[in-house]
Amino acid sequence: MLTAKENMRECVRGGKPDRYVNQYEAIQFFFSPHSWHSPSPQKGQENVVNAWGITFSWPEGTPGGFPVHTPDKIVLKDIENWREYVHAPSLEFPEEEWAQCKKMMDEGDDRAFHAIFEAPGLFEMSHHLLSIDEALLDYMVYPDEMEELVEYITDYEMRLAEVVCEYLHPDMIFHHDDWGSELNTFLRTETFEDYFLEPYKRIYGYYHDHGVEMIVHHSDSYCANIVPQMIEMGIDVWQGPMKSNNVPELVKQYGDKITFMGDIDNKLVDFTGWTVEDCRKAARGSIESVNSLTGYIPCITQGGPGSLFPGTYAQLSKEIALYNQEKFGFSVEEQEAMAPPMVIMF
Amino acid sequence: MDNVKELVVKGRLKKIEPAVQEALDAGASAQEVLDIMGVAMDEVGLKFQTNEIFISEMLAAAKTMQRGVGVLKPLLGGGGAAKLGKFIMGTVAGDLHDIGKNLVEMMIEASGFEVIDLGVDVPAENFVQALRDNPDCKIIGVSALLTTTLDAMKETVEAIKESGIDVTIMVGGAPVTPAFAEEIGADVYTPDAGSAAEKAKEIAAALA
Repeated sequence: MLTAKENMRECVRGGKPDRYVNQYEAIQFFFSPHSWHSPSPQKGQENVVNAWGITFSWPEGTPGGFPVHTPDKIVLKDIENWREYVHAPSLEFPEEEWAQCKKMMDEGDDRAFHAIFEAPGLFEMSHHLLSIDEALLDYMVYPDEMEELVEYITDYEMRLAEVVCEYLHPDMIFHHDDWGSELNTFLRTETFEDYFLEPYKRIYGYYHDHGVEMIVHHSDSYCANIVPQMIEMGIDVWQGPMKSNNVPELVKQYGDKITFMGDIDNKLVDFTGWTVEDCRKAARGSIESVNSLTGYIPCITQGGPGSLFPGTYAQLSKEIALYNQEKFGFSVEEQEAMAPPMVIMF
Repeated sequence: MDNVKELVVKGRLKKIEPAVQEALDAGASAQEVLDIMGVAMDEVGLKFQTNEIFISEMLAAAKTMQRGVGVLKPLLGGGGAAKLGKFIMGTVAGDLHDIGKNLVEMMIEASGFEVIDLGVDVPAENFVQALRDNPDCKIIGVSALLTTTLDAMKETVEAIKESGIDVTIMVGGAPVTPAFAEEIGADVYTPDAGSAAEKAKEIAAALA
């Protein structure tokens, strides 16, 4: 029986997985010092300013932090003079902090990939700086300035990639950048390609060239129209494809080049009064409709292990394990023994 | 006038003001220019529904019209830009997402409504209070993007119903389905900003 990590590798590389990869079981998340040094609000905290000067609040009763874009809090107030407003933070941290992070990774579980969690991505950073309305508008109206801004953020991510590879040697990068709504991408395919294809080829190419085995990119949205670009960028796994993408068709068409990790939309299972039956139906429905052990990982679309409502994520994992037991003969306990203990991140 | 329409459809923000002025100088009335921009936005809404255009393009079109209306406003007098009445809208308590709400508001405004934006994370009682403050408002929009806030949407719809105020309640947002809308007693569900504007116009016409 393969470990969770070996099984995910077989799944992604078109080999011979011996069961379905179960959500995030094969990924252990680690945060590098750049995350430690950028403040983010705890539940109930308001107006916490991060390393880029972006203000975040996490009001009671909401599921997470959110950028504050009242006129006084917007960082980038004039796109035509963006250099006056945007200042990337330093990535120089004490050696002992890198060593501390590396030690945590070295002590990680060998049954899983050791992933550095990176967020936000290039697009998200632009709208955190500008507000989403203004960013989307500026991508249309100020192409030269937005191209420069994306390049500036890309340069920051390249410097980050260099220090992460130099000090930490992760075998996986888990990178967030939401590129669409449930129904479509925010930008037209050609526009998206113009802005983001080359920058991400640089970033993900660097990671691949410096020992990172797998790039997992999170976007819980529709992105079916840009899958060819995602492949060209060097993404190995797209985490977060929603049902609206027609995941079974995508796996048939592209599953030998990129793996689709999702197809279980939060809204199907993650709500007040969710039931075991809801989770069973969602997990089995996805697995049976895709029907492929390679190029596909059944997973909640949320960008990390967990769910908005307690228990949903764990129940989905149990249902996938029970399915594996029925089809491949490994007991739930045997499967659990081949992966690190479940950690709920969100 | 054709130029004005084309500029709105294509979201050419920087070029709309001189084009509107040119149309006025050529003898078009402010109302005629406004109407042609409304026609342009109808086209944008339809194209969005059929995935011919993308969110950023719809936003650019709506912002272009807003800027064009800025030129017309001094000429339109009171209410000229809002002949269909008021439309109150907000995102429910516990939800900080605003892009969907903003798109709907822009499309509704472009259709000829005066939009009253309550913002995000809006408690149910604020929706009710806004209706009390604007007794001439006959349509209200309630938005949610998270499954965690569907309960807040339900509470909001219930609070509006319980207030006894005669208003059509429209709901939408990623986790909202037609079945859920019906279950919580909302009057109208629409899946996107274009269809929301279309539906709001139908409701206003029926009430006129």
